[in-house]
Amino acid sequence: MDIEKAPSMIDGNPEEKVLRSLAEGFPRTISGGEKLKSGVIRAHVERTDLYAVCQTLRDSLGFEHISMISAVDYPDRFELVYHITSYQSRLLLELVTGTPKDDPGVDSVSSVWGGANWQEREAYDLMGVVFRNHPKLERILLPMDTMFHPLRKDFKG
Amino acid sequence: MNLFEFCYGLMHWLVDILNNIWYWLGDFLPWKFGDFFIAIGDLAKAHGTIAVAAILLEVLIIFIIALVSVLNFIWLDRKFMGRIFDFYGPYYVGYRIGGWLQNLADGMKLFVKEVITPSKADKAGFLLAPVVFVASSVLALSTIPLSPDFGVAVNRAGDFVPAGALFAFAAFAIAPFSILVAGWSSNNKYTIIGGMRSAAQMMSYEIPLLLTVASVCLMAGSFSFVDIVAAQSNIWFAIPLALGFIVFLVCIVAEVEIQPFDLPEAEAELVEGWTTEYSGMRFGLFMMTSYLRSYVAGALVTALFLGGWHGFDFIPGPIWFLIKAYIVFIVLTWMRWSLPRIRVDQILQFGWTRLMPLAMLNLLIAAAFKTLGWF
Amino acid sequence: MAEMWINMGPQHPMTHGLWNLKVKVDGETVVDAEPEVGYLHRGVEKICEDRTYPQIIPIADRLCYGSSLTWSHLYCMTVEDLMDLKVPPRAEHIRVVAIEMQRIASHLMWLAAYAVDLGMMAGFLYAMRDREIFIDLLQALSGSRITYNYPRIGGVAHDLPPNFQRDALRACDYMDKKLKEYEDLYDGSTVFLMRNQGVGILRREDAMNLGVTGPTMRGSGIAYDLRKDHPYSVYPDMDFEVASHPDCDCYARYRVRMVEMRESARIIRQALAKMPQGKWRTIAPRTAPEGTGIGRVEDPRGEGMMYVVGDGTDKPYRLKIRSPIFVSVSAAPKMLIGYKVADVVAIMGTLDMCIGETDR
Repeated sequence: MDIEKAPSMIDGNPEEKVLRSLAEGFPRTISGGEKLKSGVIRAHVERTDLYAVCQTLRDSLGFEHISMISAVDYPDRFELVYHITSYQSRLLLELVTGTPKDDPGVDSVSSVWGGANWQEREAYDLMGVVFRNHPKLERILLPMDTMFHPLRKDFKG
Repeated sequence: MNLFEFCYGLMHWLVDILNNIWYWLGDFLPWKFGDFFIAIGDLAKAHGTIAVAAILLEVLIIFIIALVSVLNFIWLDRKFMGRIFDFYGPYYVGYRIGGWLQNLADGMKLFVKEVITPSKADKAGFLLAPVVFVASSVLALSTIPLSPDFGVAVNRAGDFVPAGALFAFAAFAIAPFSILVAGWSSNNKYTIIGGMRSAAQMMSYEIPLLLTVASVCLMAGSFSFVDIVAAQSNIWFAIPLALGFIVFLVCIVAEVEIQPFDLPEAEAELVEGWTTEYSGMRFGLFMMTSYLRSYVAGALVTALFLGGWHGFDFIPGPIWFLIKAYIVFIVLTWMRWSLPRIRVDQILQFGWTRLMPLAMLNLLIAAAFKTLGWF
Repeated sequence: MAEMWINMGPQHPMTHGLWNLKVKVDGETVVDAEPEVGYLHRGVEKICEDRTYPQIIPIADRLCYGSSLTWSHLYCMTVEDLMDLKVPPRAEHIRVVAIEMQRIASHLMWLAAYAVDLGMMAGFLYAMRDREIFIDLLQALSGSRITYNYPRIGGVAHDLPPNFQRDALRACDYMDKKLKEYEDLYDGSTVFLMRNQGVGILRREDAMNLGVTGPTMRGSGIAYDLRKDHPYSVYPDMDFEVASHPDCDCYARYRVRMVEMRESARIIRQALAKMPQGKWRTIAPRTAPEGTGIGRVEDPRGEGMMYVVGDGTDKPYRLKIRSPIFVSVSAAPKMLIGYKVADVVAIMGTLDMCIGETDR
């Protein structure tokens, strides 16, 4: 259900409320908000506004817990998928952002949610995405002196 | 006939047989060789030599009783543990006698293991610590008689050493030093921590222990074990001094390092604690001494609180003593396999803030009983 | 004594699995802690990009060998979400029975390991003996004791064996009796309470922010369970309570797991009573459509999650696995600082670590 074309509802279900606040708060960078199934919503955000969106999510929209940070290697970009949970409204938000391959870097959200710390380190370790302002961006699963990032598609082992 | 007379008679008989050989050789061989063998025969027949040999034989007998008890204790411990945990204990080695030969198999295994000394370890301390540990624990047995006729520290007239209890506890308390030396000289972070914890635990539980012993000696009026047991001929000290009995049991469990007080050897945190770097039979000595100390603990509890060798007359005194020591060990084993470990700072806090006031209260009770003239 | 760093691991009798915990101690008190994982990294996510969808089910089992049914079920759920596949109701009920039995077995293994860490070997052997009953039932169901390879994309591999209902109900009754015995053994032991109460406190806000989920979070007072709040499978039809405890210490986490075992027995009884007849599997298509799929389950250790990206072939383009213990371990320093070295064992024990899923 595309939120921009929905009829106006002041107090709709929580999924629509969140999508509407995101679209209103960050009109230029949030796009593609849709409800996947009951309790799961998705939105796409540009990487410049990622940190601000996450802060808004935690502070005013009640998303207290970051479940998963995935990094996917597409032919033209790296895609970072953030799954963020709200305990009070029982929602799962899938926030997708892309970063170009020659400069793979986004802002770290580990100061927003402490649970993102090791997940970002893992994404850096295995995929090579750099998280700016991370307190300790080191390899976590592979030995410290490994030269490659194995989950990239051009790594053939 | 007490043990000394028995051993003296035995050695005298043995020397008489052997002297036939020496004297025959002395008559047979010419010149100085003959004189040499006659001199040996005379030396062997002298009272001093036979007395020394008799004392060595006594010590050997007591030592053998202790070692056989240790083997039995290890077997009992494992069988009892099996019953509590819902499995069989040792089963196959010595199948028909319930798996008792497992002890010998384990001892043999430890003998054939490679004995490694860490290169950076302090050699003198590393090698001497087990020796001191074992020696001091066996020394504590020397003044504990199994009955008025069966003991080592006795003179020709049959009087036992008047300060038997003092000596036994003093020897028992040398162990913390050897544990500290063993832990420190192994040159390993874990063993230092284990050694210090162990020494702290043992030293802080010495005080309530000795206060309780003081109350028993107060009631009996003497430090000698024979007098203490004789004073229990009407009623065992465990009943009027019940508080002291419980305090003594708890303290002796902490001294011997049995669960729930065995944090110094806690596998879960410090691998083996202060014995980590010892391998082969050196480690076997530590294990064996741990059970030997629990035998000494059982013997002390029996002598001080449970009436020693008093019992029905159809069983001789020493056997009663051993039966009571075994029963004490079984109660300690029961407690050992049922309780979790207490953290070391909780152990120390418990010793100083709870047990020491109780031990002092017990001393007051003993003094009260003595003054009232009931004992 | 000066502060020194002690390495607990990677080879250590206490640590369940292969990881390293560096603690900085000042005497007996822990001043700082730093966990190091990665010793068991097998590259599962890269392997999965080269396997067809059904071939990944045994790999998912081996992610956490302590509760392997949860992971293969999670994987099947994720791929069913990607393929938009509907699972027949009998298969869903069988899956729920198997998962709850696996949950009881996993919690019993945690109880065994925790008891032996605290020095009570009796607790270890009693819990393992009771776990054998559930492992035997799962062996009758699937053929193996630990890594089952039982769920399939679209259902389960085969139907219930004969007499399974009778045996499972007997096992649930036995479990209720034994839980009472465990409560006497542990809650009645002063030493156990002394070691657990007030130790390893993790406050509510920290639990939510640091991403800790599962019994660890519920022990800090947050009554959130994915089976109730984001229900999947046939959990909306089941009647059970969410276990939570307001003290944030080790004792609370222990109580949460004991209550969860009782609730699991309840769920097994209800699922067996409501089991419909019918097919136990629908055949899934060989290739998956382009798109993404998400699966979330309540693993015995926390929130397990998988994200799969399909690209029209029969192999996934990307499979991302979220392990609850990976995030809980990163929260460990918060729980450890300020307590004694001997408490490290108790605190890490209540986290119920399984390194297979941490390192993948």
